Amino acid sequence: MKNIFRNCIYQGKNRYRDKSFLFWTLIYPLIMAIFFYTAFNGLIDIELESIDIGIKSENPIGFILEEIELLNVHKISEDEINEKLENEEIQGFIDNDLNLLVSKSGINQTIIKEIIDQIKQMGELNVPIEKFDFTIDYVLDRNQKADAIIIIFYSLIAMVSTYGIFPGIETVSLIQANLTNVGKRINVTPLKKNDFLLAGVIVSLILNLLSNGILLIFIKYILKIDLFTEIRYSAIFIIIGNLFGVALGMLIGASNKQSGNVKTILGIMITLVLSFFSGMMSPDIKILVDKKIPLIGKINPISIITDNLYKINLLENTQNVNQGIIILSIYCITLIFISYGFLRRKTYDSI
Amino acid sequence: MIVRVKNLVKRYKELIALDHFNMEVEEGEILGLLGPNGCGKTTAINCILSLLSFDKGEIEIFEKKMTPNSYDIKKQIGVVPQEVSVFENLTVRENIDYFCGLYIEDKSLRKQYVEEAIEFVGLKDYIKFYPKKLSGGLKRRLNIACGIAHKPKLIFLDEPTVAVDAQSRNFILDGIKRLNQEGSTIIYTTHYLEEAEMLCKRIIIMDNGKNLVSGTNEELKAMITTTEKIVVGFSAIEDEKAQKIKSIPHVIDIEKKEDDYIIKFENGLNNLSNLLEFIKENKLAYTKLYSQLPTLNDVFLELTGKELRD
Repeated sequence: MKNIFRNCIYQGKNRYRDKSFLFWTLIYPLIMAIFFYTAFNGLIDIELESIDIGIKSENPIGFILEEIELLNVHKISEDEINEKLENEEIQGFIDNDLNLLVSKSGINQTIIKEIIDQIKQMGELNVPIEKFDFTIDYVLDRNQKADAIIIIFYSLIAMVSTYGIFPGIETVSLIQANLTNVGKRINVTPLKKNDFLLAGVIVSLILNLLSNGILLIFIKYILKIDLFTEIRYSAIFIIIGNLFGVALGMLIGASNKQSGNVKTILGIMITLVLSFFSGMMSPDIKILVDKKIPLIGKINPISIITDNLYKINLLENTQNVNQGIIILSIYCITLIFISYGFLRRKTYDSI
Repeated sequence: MIVRVKNLVKRYKELIALDHFNMEVEEGEILGLLGPNGCGKTTAINCILSLLSFDKGEIEIFEKKMTPNSYDIKKQIGVVPQEVSVFENLTVRENIDYFCGLYIEDKSLRKQYVEEAIEFVGLKDYIKFYPKKLSGGLKRRLNIACGIAHKPKLIFLDEPTVAVDAQSRNFILDGIKRLNQEGSTIIYTTHYLEEAEMLCKRIIIMDNGKNLVSGTNEELKAMITTTEKIVVGFSAIEDEKAQKIKSIPHVIDIEKKEDDYIIKFENGLNNLSNLLEFIKENKLAYTKLYSQLPTLNDVFLELTGKELRD
């Protein structure tokens, strides 16, 4: 235990003094936050006063939808659907089986979809219609900027929470005699590999969580964007995102003999691609992916974090969060096991 | 015996890096592993330390089989790797303290050892420096301090003076002698024959993964026929006349190196006077003339047909 604590102190010192680590985990996310704020703020605001939707007169949830303040419900015939969607007179059409038809992707369409999902869930749970809370504000008016930039920020937070990938790569490299000189030296000392690895994981999580904290403070107090209304679940997703990042970093670090720089670039590429599909570059991409290849959204870890942060904070929906937590936990456990398989060997064929 | 290596074989696919390599190290000695770059010195050390897997052979340290999990053996060993192996973002003191702490748990004892190691390698003025701010020679000293601070019984030094300036080199070599005087057994790999001659009580000469010969400096030199070399810088000499030098008693070979002739003699008491007489008889003028004892390079040359420096 004493050994692990001592290793945490020294590995922590070695890590936080590393300029490249500081850049990728602290400076880069801040730059991205400023960039997104400057580039997108105000450009893609949406009108919240009313979202025009179309239904047929016999739609089974028509009377519920009419009670929702945010929605302007238009009863239309089959022939009018395409025309009204194309002319943007309505932003979505809900058929009698509660399927949503849209002509383009956007935040309004996402909100409509979320409303339908909630109503479906109420139905599945057999909650009587009288119990349905018609006063729910699907976009909360708690001084939040209800615009698409919020999705981008949730995606950014999801991405940087996985930046434990970098200390994960570093920790594994430092213990491998065939990868680093320090690894050679450590392998001939009486220090056990597992002690070093455990200390590395602890340090990686602490330092990355600290840098996440700094980013969140920056977003809240400098950019004045209030992202979190549900702290408990948000914290769980950010922590598990960190663990996923460290585990993925360990796998990248342990599975091949490429240089540290190549591994870092690989880590950046993976997180950027996952973030891209989760809507960091544009929420429209996420909506498009969800529509065309929904499986990607369901298995993409950054998407899982983004979606859940969005749902629990913006839409106040905490149902199904356990599903996201379980999937991410399975990812973490699997990655750690595979990495351990690579790290288990004690001698090397070549150094 | 502190270390016993028997018939060690290590292959990299088709290449045989160690070919039935044998080594025995007695307590208190400095054993030199001498050989050209790529001859298998570092591979041998890495196998002995259980860093590298090997195909065949037996390795015992402190009379116990060495394995990757031999933590009790590792506690008594210090290793100074060929490459500088320290944390780039820890200071000199922090690096030494970190590695010393992997062996010494007692905080006050560790503090004392760290101070002594800093003093030993002469880095007192640099304790707060990061490795990247140190010169090559100072980095090597730090590398040594990290390997020896815990006062190990057995120290492996793998070419610790490569790419080091003369001043740091002398400092390092003096330090190694002191470590040995303080009771450490040392295994020292090098391709610098002068270092091996100066430091080591016993030397193993390696080539192509094999140990060619082993013995003390004197024993090795006694194995070859050349017992004396006389270097002459003639002002002017025809090749034909130069070849006549071979007729001098005990001359075994003559070699021209730039403007000088190196004349090799086998056992003979009056080699120098015989040569001077030849010069006088043939009315030759010379600018320099001196006698040399054979070096380990000559031993290597005679055994392998190539120079150690190649």
